[in-house]
Amino acid sequence: MRESDKERVLVEVVHRTFNHYTKDPRRTEQALFDTLYEERLRLETEGNRTKAKKQGAFYRRIHKEALRASPARQSELLKEVIQAFADEVAGHFDPRVFALATRVVPPALSALLNTLSPLRLLTAIPTGMATLNDQIVIEGETEAFKAAARMGTTVLVSTHLSNLDSIILGYALFRLGLPPYTYGAGLNLFANKMIGFFMHNLGAYKVDRRKKAEVYKHVLKTYAGCTMELGYHNMFFPGGTRSRSGAVENRLKMGLLGMSLDAYIHNLLAKKTRPDVFVVPCTLNYQLVLEAETLIEDYLKAVGKSRYIIEDDEFSKPNRVIDFFTRLFSLDSRIHMVVSKPLDGFGNVVDEQGRSRDHRGRVVDRERYVYQNGSPAFDAQRDQEYTRELASSITKAFHRDTVIKPTHLVAYSILDWLWEKCPGMDFYRVLRTGGPEESIPMTEAYSRVDRTLGTLREFEQDNRLRLDESIRGKDTGAVVGDALAHLKSYHRRPALLRRGDRLFHIDRNLLLYYHNRLTGFGLPTWEKPQ
Amino acid sequence: MRKQANLDVLIVGGGSFGTALATLLSEMGKRFEMWVRREELAQEINTQHTNTRYASGHTLPTDIRATTNLEQAVERAPTILMAVPSRSFREVARAVGDTIQGDQILVHTTKGFEIESFKPMSTILREETCTLKTGVLAGPNLAGEIMAGHPAGATVASHYDEVIDAVQDLFRGGRIRVYGGHDVVGTEVGSALKNIIALAAGISDGMGFGDNTKSLLLTRGLSEMARVGVALGADVFTFSGLTGVGDLMCTCASSLSRNHQVGERLAKGESLDQILNSMTQVAEGVPTTEAVHRYATSKGLDLPIVRAVHTILFQNGGVADTIAQLMQLPVGDELAALRYR
Repeated sequence: MRESDKERVLVEVVHRTFNHYTKDPRRTEQALFDTLYEERLRLETEGNRTKAKKQGAFYRRIHKEALRASPARQSELLKEVIQAFADEVAGHFDPRVFALATRVVPPALSALLNTLSPLRLLTAIPTGMATLNDQIVIEGETEAFKAAARMGTTVLVSTHLSNLDSIILGYALFRLGLPPYTYGAGLNLFANKMIGFFMHNLGAYKVDRRKKAEVYKHVLKTYAGCTMELGYHNMFFPGGTRSRSGAVENRLKMGLLGMSLDAYIHNLLAKKTRPDVFVVPCTLNYQLVLEAETLIEDYLKAVGKSRYIIEDDEFSKPNRVIDFFTRLFSLDSRIHMVVSKPLDGFGNVVDEQGRSRDHRGRVVDRERYVYQNGSPAFDAQRDQEYTRELASSITKAFHRDTVIKPTHLVAYSILDWLWEKCPGMDFYRVLRTGGPEESIPMTEAYSRVDRTLGTLREFEQDNRLRLDESIRGKDTGAVVGDALAHLKSYHRRPALLRRGDRLFHIDRNLLLYYHNRLTGFGLPTWEKPQ
Repeated sequence: MRKQANLDVLIVGGGSFGTALATLLSEMGKRFEMWVRREELAQEINTQHTNTRYASGHTLPTDIRATTNLEQAVERAPTILMAVPSRSFREVARAVGDTIQGDQILVHTTKGFEIESFKPMSTILREETCTLKTGVLAGPNLAGEIMAGHPAGATVASHYDEVIDAVQDLFRGGRIRVYGGHDVVGTEVGSALKNIIALAAGISDGMGFGDNTKSLLLTRGLSEMARVGVALGADVFTFSGLTGVGDLMCTCASSLSRNHQVGERLAKGESLDQILNSMTQVAEGVPTTEAVHRYATSKGLDLPIVRAVHTILFQNGGVADTIAQLMQLPVGDELAALRYR
């Protein structure tokens, strides 16, 4: 982001957030004290003591003064807090590092993803790209995506399984010839110093998910919206966090998503020549997921009460990352990124000429959606509903463009068999003990996989999902073999293991994780234990 | 850029309810048009001020103007009320979709589902038009009573406050009180399924049963309506409102209800074909029974009254035998199916 733009964004973020909370003096007071409470609570568990001390002093001062302050002074204090949040989110941007980063990061990333030894890492940089090009497959509506990026601002929204996703997306954007995207990266990404350094300088802004204050969240989304208005392409994960269960996201966070429409209306009101903000969904698809063990464990610990921020997962352990890629690539396993058709802020598909189309393919004048009495206007309730429509189109695209890999297919089929063998048994007990049958005959496994595959092929014909090239046209034996090779290769314990003519379920949590990728597609299933 | 709207509202459909709506809007001095498919009907409404096929015996206000030019009519109206039967709904919606734009409001009044797909009308509007600001207007509104000048109430349900406000504004101060709500699914399910219960109530009346029987049918019927609604994501409380209990009471008690009439005549021995061939207007309960029964079977929902009506309508089930079987079903906790959600 240009320095001048950064200043414009910061001024606008503070101004809009401040206005939002000061329309009603009672709201101002509440926002201020709620923020102070949330922040002081957070600081109690802040690991960085220097930071905690500095921020603690800041909040103590604000709090002390706020208790006796007039409404006008309380507003000023709130503004100080908002300014501090905004400064932290925007971070420091160094154009020199940006120039270096755009030159160095892609080959460095390539090398990282090839997980070579340090020596080879250095020597492989020139040739690493070719290998990576083969390993990461980008398909789908790439031309429409690039066209959208030429005609307006794009917001890339992706499914989210792993912390590697943002790196893969960054690389994919580079390969598509697109500029770096503005990205709200979690603090845990910045914990990896090298990645964090480049992240910051490739347009990433810092998101501290431990900050629960509503004012902070408002600053974050306003920041994203303002960058969109200035034409900076954005990227985020609308699911909010990595899918803990392994399933494709079907519920999205509305706040940040709604900023694409907000920016569009702002642009229309400002009579910009290129007002459009297009949302481009995409999916990332892996045979194996780096953090699968941690994620599913977290999911199972308290369904719906995830720890949310995991800082000690596989991503934070370089050896695991290297091991992951070595094994993945030694199995000739490809990562698929599928780009869906761009959407407007109302969920309509946008064609390569930038025109919105309805379900029947008729051209839609999208500007008219935001008209009130003949001209563009904001309407919070209406715009929230529009964003729900957009979210619905995104989740449909996520499902349609999910690539089902052998690990998903086999895990789904075998776990379905397991549910069937454990009628009436507690869900967690099945996962823990595996029920009465510790293995399934291979012939039965093949037949189960065949059955699921038959349905999946029908689904693919109906454009409800995509089957991986390693499934399409392959016989069941080869597909199962491929899945088993993956499932026993990287994780600490294999999910499934073949011994003789039987298939043993070893790590059922992992099995559940890979199985879950296929939930939400309407496959007929044996009733899951409760 | 759209031509300047010079209508307050367009009514799409010249059937009995479309005509009733036109009468109400005329009373309130609104600027509106009524789109009808047939040129002869448009001429009859415009010149003779009658609609003999769908509102016989009534003289229409002289300011009701009918047109057959849908494109032009849609362009001129900020709000469009669709009052067409479910069987032709998709086709008409698609035609509206050729012209309508995103700032226009589209509300339907159709009480039924698309038989083949079991889709409610709001879904069809979404599929066939680009407009997102859609809604449903429903309630205990027998067209005959509205035409006769009686007061009434209805609910407009939409996800968009703007739609609710627009429809309430249209009827504000008139003799129909329009309440607002956000539960589109619940409103559509209530309005559609009460027609099945109305068929059952008609059968009960036709058999000469009294108020005890009818009360039993209505109450258990309401429970079945709510069960389907909840399965589709509706709020169970919606069924206690005008589009649930309200519409049910009205349509099951009134001899003006077409569905009630069908049920009564079935009980008196006429065949379904005979009855339908003799009617000029649509009894939505008949196709709705087929659609709901298929849906309930596929989802494993237990709907004994719907099943019984389906047996009588489509499986040549004898009325007396079917009622006897219904009475022999095991009984359990009255609200079990709804309580533990």
